[in-house]
Amino acid sequence: MTGEDRHDDDWCLRASEVDLGYGGTPVVAGLSLEIPRGELTVIIGPNGCGKSTLLKAFARVVRPQAGTITLHGRDLHGYRGKSVARRLALLPQSPVAPERITVRGLVSRGRYPHTSLLRQWSPADDHAVAQALERTNLTELAGSQVGELSGGQRQRAWFAMVLAQDTDIVLLDEPTTFLDIAHQYELLELCAALHREGRTVVAVLHDLNQAARYATHLVMMAGGRVVAEGQPAQVLSAERVSSVFGLTCDVVPDPHLGTPMVIPLPQGDGVEPHRAGHGVPG
Amino acid sequence: MSAGEVGAGRGRPRTIGLGGRLSIPVQPRSVVVAGATLLVLVAAAVATLTLGRLGIPLAELPTALFGGASGKEAFVLERLRGPRLTVAVGTGLALGLAGALFQSVSRNPLGSPDVIGLGYGASSGAAVVGLLWPGVIPVPVGAVLGGAVAIAIVYLATGSGFRQPGRLIIAGVGVAAMAMAFTQYVVYVAVRDKASVLSAYINGSLSARSWDHALTIWLALVLLTPFALALSPRIGVTEMGDELADGLGANPKSARTWAIVLSVLLSSAAVSVAGPIAFIALTAPNIAKRLSASPGANLVLSALTGALLLVLADLVAQQLPVGDELPVGIYTMLIGGLYLGYLLTREWRKGVL
Repeated sequence: MTGEDRHDDDWCLRASEVDLGYGGTPVVAGLSLEIPRGELTVIIGPNGCGKSTLLKAFARVVRPQAGTITLHGRDLHGYRGKSVARRLALLPQSPVAPERITVRGLVSRGRYPHTSLLRQWSPADDHAVAQALERTNLTELAGSQVGELSGGQRQRAWFAMVLAQDTDIVLLDEPTTFLDIAHQYELLELCAALHREGRTVVAVLHDLNQAARYATHLVMMAGGRVVAEGQPAQVLSAERVSSVFGLTCDVVPDPHLGTPMVIPLPQGDGVEPHRAGHGVPG
Repeated sequence: MSAGEVGAGRGRPRTIGLGGRLSIPVQPRSVVVAGATLLVLVAAAVATLTLGRLGIPLAELPTALFGGASGKEAFVLERLRGPRLTVAVGTGLALGLAGALFQSVSRNPLGSPDVIGLGYGASSGAAVVGLLWPGVIPVPVGAVLGGAVAIAIVYLATGSGFRQPGRLIIAGVGVAAMAMAFTQYVVYVAVRDKASVLSAYINGSLSARSWDHALTIWLALVLLTPFALALSPRIGVTEMGDELADGLGANPKSARTWAIVLSVLLSSAAVSVAGPIAFIALTAPNIAKRLSASPGANLVLSALTGALLLVLADLVAQQLPVGDELPVGIYTMLIGGLYLGYLLTREWRKGVL
């Protein structure tokens, strides 16, 4: 899909001219961005570029100092708390597992927005939790304490909690950080599976090659602004990676999938970057 | 999806409900533990009424309780131990609840009203309105004001709210010491050196309680407990960090504010009837958590544990032949101080402090 084919309906989250920050100078200033429905959007950018802040603003954790964010055309901050949480889930960077909580207990907490004061649990909640455990291969570990799991298992448990929330939109803030390489890909495959079943996924990622492989829509940020967005092959060029990340590199097609792959060049040996014909100049 | 059904049957939350409208998840283990705690509490209450020189003989207790008391028994039940026990149970429940709320939202097993100076602040407030200007402001209102001021000073002094355990304790110790000094000053100015008055405001005491005290604490419980229980799911979610709680629509900032307000009100109510009884609010929620082995604030079990601890401590205070009946607060401080030491060591080993 390209930009001109889209209808208004195709954007589920839209930031218009937002300033974002934590008091003081905004981290993000005057940014506008639309998140396409049903795509796996990955946001990349160097540290401090405001990508996590932007994600938190989409999740309603950070309130814009200026500008608006809309969800399905309505102001995000006009929704009631739980009704946003039934449409949109966030997995933050460092959630805290309460002491003595089991995997099932943790995943059950994802059902909070679907419950009410008098009706705190229902068969639908049971079903959603069982399904989330199943999809993340945690059914066998449901009774284990979260504190006793390995890093990869723990992150899967958090992911399962977000799944149990059962939302159309899932936002993930650097979900692969601190994971072993195999577990990183395991988690990215889970994201891809969510996308395949029609959900809108937005993830902030650190690794450019993982971003390029899994994104169906790539957003590159620098200095609190969007530098480029579109299909990974259009966004990732050697010039952009060099100017945004300060890394001299080559961009070549992935031998298996054809998605762009960033190959850092050895420093200081005078090798001229070879253009793979993938990047759009500029 | 059929795959979803596989895990649905095992270990899922049990619920208690009413015709589909009401459905509250319960942990079977918590229910069993709460029942057992309640039984022991009843046993401790019976012991409180029956033991000692003035005790009502066990065989006569049922008749005495159901209106057949006369003479010495009636005096003991209606004037001495009845109100004292009722105040002890109510105060213990309030302290257990207050501690559970505060520890949960500060995500800190040491973030307890009695560790961080709330109790002594409330006691200062109670001393000021009770001794300097008797009859102008009701004592419970003075206690709430004193508690609120103490907690506000701690909040500002840490520079990081209630988050960092180390700073919280240091600021709390400072505020508690200042509040205690202030209370001593007020007592000294108002009543000169009347040891029993001083001790009631410094240690907390349950001797010579009246039905008015019982009414105050139970009224506070009846009014505040529903709010605490309604807040319970939200503070459970808030334990997982603000960003996640925000993402789940739980509005953690307002949940925390409400929990702290309730905690201040409950602790101040307890202080206004029994003085700053130390360490019940610290130990009860930690013990409850250990017994139930489940996350969240464990409000009901914490309250019951608090009541049990205080009734037991008061039983010891009444029956142990030490001095001229020491105030109960001295015993809770002794037990709680040891527990605090244990907790500090544990947190230090974990690298939290």
